[in-house]
Amino acid sequence: MMIYQIIGIFIGFLAIIWTILRFKKGKLSPGMMILWNLIWIVVIAVSIYPTLTSFIAKFTGIGRGLDLALVLGLLLGYYLIFKVYNKLETIEEELTDLVREIAIQNENLNVPDEKGDDKKP
Amino acid sequence: MRVFVVVPAYNEEKTVVKVMEELFKRGFNLVVVDDGSIDETYKRAKSVIDKNGSKGFIYKHLLNRGLGASLRTGITAALLHDPDIIVTFDADGQHDPEDIKNVCRPIKNAEADIVIGKRNFDDMPLAKKLGNQIMNLITRIFYGVKINDSQSGLRAFSRKAAELININSREYGVSSEIIGEIKTKDLKLEEVPMKTIYTDYSMSKGTNTKVGLKILFKLIMNILK
Repeated sequence: MMIYQIIGIFIGFLAIIWTILRFKKGKLSPGMMILWNLIWIVVIAVSIYPTLTSFIAKFTGIGRGLDLALVLGLLLGYYLIFKVYNKLETIEEELTDLVREIAIQNENLNVPDEKGDDKKP
Repeated sequence: MRVFVVVPAYNEEKTVVKVMEELFKRGFNLVVVDDGSIDETYKRAKSVIDKNGSKGFIYKHLLNRGLGASLRTGITAALLHDPDIIVTFDADGQHDPEDIKNVCRPIKNAEADIVIGKRNFDDMPLAKKLGNQIMNLITRIFYGVKINDSQSGLRAFSRKAAELININSREYGVSSEIIGEIKTKDLKLEEVPMKTIYTDYSMSKGTNTKVGLKILFKLIMNILK
């Protein structure tokens, strides 16, 4: 067994434990928990049987196993960036709604400027 | 006719008082939205509001959320005070208060639901002119409306139009979005020529080429989403 295989298996197991812990704390949705665990299981499987990638690579016509892993990794990376971007947009939107609502409720109120030199009640 | 002028202000402590006083002098109702300024904009604007009793209202965004968000707050707030016409007016002193009459006229005569003041592009420096022309093109491609000045800050809405339009943009993209809403909500648009007062101060703000490209990127991302 090569060193990269041991590292792969080790990281995969740690990540699965971490993912499940986050899910239990309610910080990860069930869908994302399953998706992440699938990814880590694939990482472990490929670490144990490196020839697996060559087999799938031949099957899909991409060529070498490493190429396939890179292509999949890249696609996954893009997908996650996209998810994060959308999530960020949603949060920005919610923040704006909150700020607007507070502004309207505080009509003509004495709100101090950021400099904080207007602290009259 | 109750005319409400919405003035979005972000770090405009140098100009906001003068702009507000000019507007109050002409008998308009005022809605000022301070978009999380870090200078004394709120304090100064508030003192003008306090002097003018029930004719002015001021709102503070605790965080800077952009022009689009400020206009939304302003329009929502104005609608709470029973307006007939809502006008948006920049706080940096680039508009002539006299032009408000001109943009309100087509609405008073029931000839239009939304009126946009168009600037004379020939007076504009090249960088600004280019930025604005990119935005006109973008507005035409993405919203299908041909308009002479899509990024104008001086607009008038009838009450009906103000209630109908739905804005989502938070930043400068809002100007194009409003134009798009004219088409979706089947409103009547009119463009009226207006004066623009160019000072070194107002020149440093608004739509230049960089802002134009930023908005283009946002619009494409919105389509892909």
